[in-house]
Amino acid sequence: MAAADPAAISPGDELLAAIGAGDTAGFARWLAGAEGRLRDSLRSFAGIVDVEAVLQESLLRVWQVAPRVIPDGRPDPLLRLAIRIARNFAVSELRRSRLEPVEIEALERLAATGGELPAGPDRSGDPILRRAIEECRRRLPRKPALALQARLESGGTEPDDQLAERVGMRRNTFLQNFTRARRFLADCLRKRGIDLAVELS
Amino acid sequence: MTAREALIESASTAWRPRGAGAVRAHPAWADLDEAGRLAAYEATRLLRRLEAALDPEGLSTTARAVLARISG
Repeated sequence: MAAADPAAISPGDELLAAIGAGDTAGFARWLAGAEGRLRDSLRSFAGIVDVEAVLQESLLRVWQVAPRVIPDGRPDPLLRLAIRIARNFAVSELRRSRLEPVEIEALERLAATGGELPAGPDRSGDPILRRAIEECRRRLPRKPALALQARLESGGTEPDDQLAERVGMRRNTFLQNFTRARRFLADCLRKRGIDLAVELS
Repeated sequence: MTAREALIESASTAWRPRGAGAVRAHPAWADLDEAGRLAAYEATRLLRRLEAALDPEGLSTTARAVLARISG
């Protein structure tokens, strides 16, 4: 059996092999770079399916099938697979809903075009942005800071009801404080010349 | 905060219900009209960027939720 040509193995292939072998740290590294692009690829579905739920379910399925993914020489094989899985799952969710057949057909055509990568660079890990956000976060008033911290620490594993109770707020007060935190950070960043909405557009 | 704003903010969390099957839509998302759902999508998009930038490993709460489910 011929040995693999080391020059033909890309860093992406090595990460794919690690993920396929069950390396959760490798999957976390891949997630950090892929999540935003996958979310952007689902924008056209955002009015009719819960993209957050579709995204999470698709990422779980990517993890399950990763051991069977074979690099095809094109970039980002796992991300292309994730986009296909996500769009197909979105359409299957629509089938479960009461959407008109003609709308489902239009979305199936959209899903069939899946696999191409959203334009734009990988924006994860920008140290300047990170420093600015951290500085703005330190200036947050106490209660909004508490609400933000609660959501960050829970990492999406608990509903807001539980988080609100933990920080001693009613659910609506918790949401108000979370909104204040989000707006405060956006305003603070804007004063530093950073507009996230523009940067992500 | 209006009821609509509360629904949008609620839907921006990475927490999602899950029974024996797939990850399901957030109950607040289901109560929004199409414009509200698009607003929730955009708010979430910005929020995840903020979260990832604040995280030492560059992971958003979406990524953390997925990893938590993988780890059981």
